[in-house]
Amino acid sequence: MSQVIACYKWVADEADIRINADLSIDLSKAKGKISDYDKNAIEAAIQAAAVLGGKAVGVTFGTSDAKPSLKDALSRGLDEVCYIKAQEASQADGAATARALAAAIKKLENVSLIICAEGASDTYSRQTAPRIGAFLDLPVVTSVSKMELTGNTLTAVRKLDDCLQTVKVDLPAVVAVLPEINPAPIPGLKAVLAAGKKPVHELKAADLGVDLSPLSTISEIKGYIMDRKNIIFNEGDLAEQVKALVAALRKEGVL
Amino acid sequence: MSQAEDKFDAIIVGAGPAGSACAYTLAKAGKNVLVIERGDSPGSKNVTGGRIYTYALEMLEPGIFAEAALERRVTHEQIMLLAGQRAITVDFHQPGFNAEDQAPVSFTVLRAVFDEWLAGKAEEMGAIVACGIKVDRLIEEEGRIAGVVAGEDEMYADVVIAADGVNSFMAQEAGLIQDISAKTMGVGVKEVIELPAQTISERFNLQADEGAARMLLGCTEGIHGGGFLYTNKQSISLGCVFTPEEVAQHKRSVHEIFQDLKMHPAIAPLIAGGETIEYSAHLVSEAGVRGIHPKLHREGFLMIGDAAGFVINTGYSIRGIDLAIVSGIAAANAIIAAAENIASVGPNYIQELNRLKLLPAMKAADGYFEVLETPWIYDKIPNLANDIMENLFRISGEVPLRMKDNVLGAIKANGLTVWQLAKLGIKGVRSL
Repeated sequence: MSQVIACYKWVADEADIRINADLSIDLSKAKGKISDYDKNAIEAAIQAAAVLGGKAVGVTFGTSDAKPSLKDALSRGLDEVCYIKAQEASQADGAATARALAAAIKKLENVSLIICAEGASDTYSRQTAPRIGAFLDLPVVTSVSKMELTGNTLTAVRKLDDCLQTVKVDLPAVVAVLPEINPAPIPGLKAVLAAGKKPVHELKAADLGVDLSPLSTISEIKGYIMDRKNIIFNEGDLAEQVKALVAALRKEGVL
Repeated sequence: MSQAEDKFDAIIVGAGPAGSACAYTLAKAGKNVLVIERGDSPGSKNVTGGRIYTYALEMLEPGIFAEAALERRVTHEQIMLLAGQRAITVDFHQPGFNAEDQAPVSFTVLRAVFDEWLAGKAEEMGAIVACGIKVDRLIEEEGRIAGVVAGEDEMYADVVIAADGVNSFMAQEAGLIQDISAKTMGVGVKEVIELPAQTISERFNLQADEGAARMLLGCTEGIHGGGFLYTNKQSISLGCVFTPEEVAQHKRSVHEIFQDLKMHPAIAPLIAGGETIEYSAHLVSEAGVRGIHPKLHREGFLMIGDAAGFVINTGYSIRGIDLAIVSGIAAANAIIAAAENIASVGPNYIQELNRLKLLPAMKAADGYFEVLETPWIYDKIPNLANDIMENLFRISGEVPLRMKDNVLGAIKANGLTVWQLAKLGIKGVRSL
């Protein structure tokens, strides 16, 4: 049976991240969640698996903190989840993450499609899908806003700056989807209950046989303050104020 | 799926302290329990700024409090009477409330943390907790409640337990309560104000893990209600409860009155430099035993915690979380004792509520409702007390008033009579 893979990441909920007065980041109160865009990737995988008559399988690379993600991912309709549990995930960059995911995917049979989100909601590096494609030597289609499967062919619409590009690839392939690909539904009661009974395959870093050290390391994370011009247009009457505002916006290249 | 797979021994709606305590007890006895929580996590919909009396946790599982997600152990019980810029604070300190060889009397808690912890304990016992799901209605079959409907899914159970808080939608669905009356409800607002632990300890004169719980009177501009303040580890919960009917007739909003309280010379220094990390509002049952719904069960259905109206407000303390836990245990015991005889669950429950002393405790506190109904205790009494204090302590070089004249004069100046005060005193004594 063919398998459609959804890669997802467990991230800190940005709503709970606090930036201290000295611009240092406080993650101590942040709860975890599945990266928002990955929820669309999961739904896309479920829909694709239904068309292909296969299974939808989630793959995640995370520390032990990512355990709560399994039930959530499965309640969204995945048939099973493969959980690469490794402390290395806390320091991973796009390269290490893609290497881990690709190694786990390689162990699965009949993989016809690998779906990632365009980027994660925390780092948004946009590296995972292209790098997995490179590791597995598969075609990669990014920025996908719409996709359709006919037989062994995937037709994807890529959303570019100001135009849409339609691409056809033969499966197997890797796609990176945009959130607008589907409205990821909120799981219902039975789906949540069923999630507890679905299989989870746990892999350790050693099982993968690949080096999970990052190629780039994070030296600092800090908040920033947006510099604002703080110009107030209050000279003259309303017409003059509007004129001044428009002139200033032109000057900034906004208009 | 067949109906057998969709059927539980009990479905509990709401993963607050009542629901989780009930789930914990049932699961521990080997029952198949499902808890359905509307919030994305237990506690996420909660507003209690609170305190829990430890005896209830001890009843659930002796010693469990030691690992509970709790804030400070309350050893300072305080009452504050505010009048204008003035304030009288009574501070009862009993270090023995936090003795090493026994469970402390009470803790302050942050419910978002506490509720998640307690729900986790229920899960450890084998209960299933499903979050992010709203129950839309109850399933009724042959005159009994047989299950719940959430979205497109139906789920069946021998007993459905409403633990969905004040103004219980489940209990309305079951036809056991009407829409709530504004007279028996308070509207509460609360802020959680973050401060360093050391600062809080210094400002409230607290040792290590000690905490203070304070009730405030005279901070509601004469509206039936009062304030509360609890010290958490690294934050202060400060809030006010008002009668909505009177607020509606009042010129200023609840929010404005509450902001004035924060600026009060006796409160402002306590919270100075703090950052408000949460603001919330909620309904609070105010009627005590009279607020308990006349029917707490029907076949296949029980109400526990706030949903049942289990809150005791005596004016010097508010109890809700402990009663919620006790009622959850009572409901679980009732179901366990009933075994196959589902019809006996309801009567068992009432019996358990009496055996665990919940209903007797609520009845015993009933007199306070009448005392608290006296309209002038919310402004004139705190003002009177402060006037007497001021006359006592303001030394000007004049011949001081005799104590009797001081008191009588102050009573008169506040538009009260000795007779009114005596009547209130009698009511108060009776309520004790």
